[in-house]
Amino acid sequence: MLTDVKRMAKIDVDHLYFYYGEKLALSDISISIRDRQITALIGPSGCGKSTFLRCLNRMNDTIPNTRVEGEVFLDGEDIYAQDTDVIGLRRRVGMVFQRPNCFPQSIYDNVAFGPRVLHLDTGHSLDQIVERSLRDAALWDEVKDDLSQDALSLSLGEQQRLCIARAIAVKPEVILMDEPCSALDPIATLKIEELMRELKEAYSIVIVTHNMQQAARVSDWTGFFWLGEMVEFDDTDTLFTRPEEKLTEDYITGRAG
Amino acid sequence: MPREIFERELQRLESEMLAMASMVENAITDSVEALKQRDFERSRELIARDREINERRFKIEDGCLVAIATQQPMASDLRFLAAILDIISELERIGDYAKGISRINLMIGEKPLLKPLIDVPLMAEKARSMLHRALDSFIQRDVELARSIPMEDDEVDELYNMVYRELMTYIVDDQETIDQANYLLWAAHNLERAADRVTNICERTIFTVTGEMRELNADQNGLQNIS
Repeated sequence: MLTDVKRMAKIDVDHLYFYYGEKLALSDISISIRDRQITALIGPSGCGKSTFLRCLNRMNDTIPNTRVEGEVFLDGEDIYAQDTDVIGLRRRVGMVFQRPNCFPQSIYDNVAFGPRVLHLDTGHSLDQIVERSLRDAALWDEVKDDLSQDALSLSLGEQQRLCIARAIAVKPEVILMDEPCSALDPIATLKIEELMRELKEAYSIVIVTHNMQQAARVSDWTGFFWLGEMVEFDDTDTLFTRPEEKLTEDYITGRAG
Repeated sequence: MPREIFERELQRLESEMLAMASMVENAITDSVEALKQRDFERSRELIARDREINERRFKIEDGCLVAIATQQPMASDLRFLAAILDIISELERIGDYAKGISRINLMIGEKPLLKPLIDVPLMAEKARSMLHRALDSFIQRDVELARSIPMEDDEVDELYNMVYRELMTYIVDDQETIDQANYLLWAAHNLERAADRVTNICERTIFTVTGEMRELNADQNGLQNIS
């Protein structure tokens, strides 16, 4: 059974600790992120879920005076090993942030940015990559008539889907999403959620969200974080209908946090 | 406690359900008492009363749906509301059984009963007591009590079998009694079904507390006339 789970795991986190200076922000986190499934991380503000997310593609490396202990394996390889190519890691593990952060350039150039930098346009033309990425991000039909328009002229929901298109243009294997809908209205939110369900056919997705209903709607697995620890991790149906831990119960029923 | 309004609403729905349950409990024993006393007026009242029971059920159901739609209940709150929805539907059906017994009294009409009713009122009292304690188990979230009540269903089944055998002897002796024996058997069967539904309520108590969905007392071989 354990071997099955391991085989399904895209990312394996083993006894992870994270420190901001002396302050312990994550304590002894172990979790298997399943391949081509959506894993949601929930918990109150400051519980460490975003810090944890950023450990998965070493985005925390850019924050001074921080320290990681423990191991994170991507397809069995330790991403914190000394010889890890961090740029290559971040190509394989892409990220979408809370607010859309499009470049002040055309829609086309936003999507083409990564493939150009990484010279991915050898087999396919850049046009093909841009079209495929926009299609996969469910944005193509809305923007195909004018790819040269300024990305910042799009609605926030469209901008966020453009950021997803930009992330998948470099063909990542995992997409990390840090509160991707918190700046969006309910309809734009539902569009992103629909999109996530389509994307999971090809990508493993980890999403941090404050919105428990969103986690319940969209994810296959859910982890509940509290004060830097992962209190409970289970399949989403179980976690939201009959959690094992009282703290999880109190949090998801709105009686704690 | 950050969800006081929601908490109060859950408590209100529980109290409404208890009030409905109390009406249903009374309906069971009252319908049999009216049959025993050949009190047609009482039976007519009980038939009208059943409408009130049904209306209460719809009101509670509406309250549960509003709570689900507006409060996004999770985990134990969600299980609680799902259980209430289920229990009020069981209560309504038990109420229908009582209404059926009231109708039987009217259908038998002025003819005297074949025999004084003894076991049928015992069945009614037993079903009522089981129902009352099943609701107690829900209110107290008492899993042990909820598990123990369905075992008593065998006693109701045994009483039913006795009524069945006795009525058969009347039919064999005198074909003129077929109609009434059939009606009385029907009344006993309604009570037997009411007790079965109490088991479903106990299952909901266990589900509310533990999240476990399992059939209690699934082995119901106690009935003679069901193959």
